[in-house]
Amino acid sequence: MTATDSAAVTEVFDVLIATFPGRPTDQAVDELRQDVLDRMETADPRGVVLDISAVTTLDSFFARVISETASMVELMGGAAIVVGMRPSVAITAAELGFGLESVETARSTDHALSMLGISVEATDDDTSDPDDGVIDRSSPTSSPGGRQ
Amino acid sequence: MSERADAADAIDTEATVLRSGTIRVRSEDDILRARQEAREIAEEIEFSTTDVTRIVTGVSELTRNMHLYAEDGIMEWREIEAGRDSGLELVFDDNGPGIDDIEGVLRAEHSTSGGMGRGIQGTKKLMDAFEIVSTPDDGTTITVRKWR
Repeated sequence: MTATDSAAVTEVFDVLIATFPGRPTDQAVDELRQDVLDRMETADPRGVVLDISAVTTLDSFFARVISETASMVELMGGAAIVVGMRPSVAITAAELGFGLESVETARSTDHALSMLGISVEATDDDTSDPDDGVIDRSSPTSSPGGRQ
Repeated sequence: MSERADAADAIDTEATVLRSGTIRVRSEDDILRARQEAREIAEEIEFSTTDVTRIVTGVSELTRNMHLYAEDGIMEWREIEAGRDSGLELVFDDNGPGIDDIEGVLRAEHSTSGGMGRGIQGTKKLMDAFEIVSTPDDGTTITVRKWR
């Protein structure tokens, strides 16, 4: 369970991918924001993908941290794109009255990467599952705590 | 003394309680625990995925408010039944300082620490019934219901 509680920032091509855990504490969310901003400085990427596909509950606090993180990344000269919002989360967020209006969104990490100008060579057959596609997200599950 | 928000969507239907449970909320971990328990119960009652998300998001907003403003509080959940309807009732009870201007909070004019108004007002939208009672002496009690 520890691996799902903490967030992971990995670097793919010239982009940081911040994967939010499904059920983070407020503190874990804060730490992820800090981690993203620190890595913005050290890795100097062209942008950050904020992956919320594991997130099943997006409350106003979490939504605010995501918007703020996105605007901070932009202030630092990078682009920020939120990907993977679940339908039930999108419905609830819209009803709650925060639609993350100012935040750029994409349906998947692949789309986000191409929005950031990164073209990925397709291997022969990548039509099926986006999770199984050409981009290796250097899954944090395979090596929890591997690189910090 | 007691200020009571009326009327339209108050908790006025008689309901039978089938089972119930309580969770004490005085830390961030407790907020997660309350969310998790609400999710399990809501899934057992067979709410749709979107309704489960609405419920858990509401729990997150209200338990966070409780923890933030009163430090310590209790969430009680009740599986309820009224005629052929079944649903979930949640009561958030604290002995904190109370809310001065409930009507204002419900109109989300207040946002003292960046979110109480929106959290409460938003939660009201996610639920089918909502009632709030607050006094400086007895703290705040918020009762919400969601019917399946």
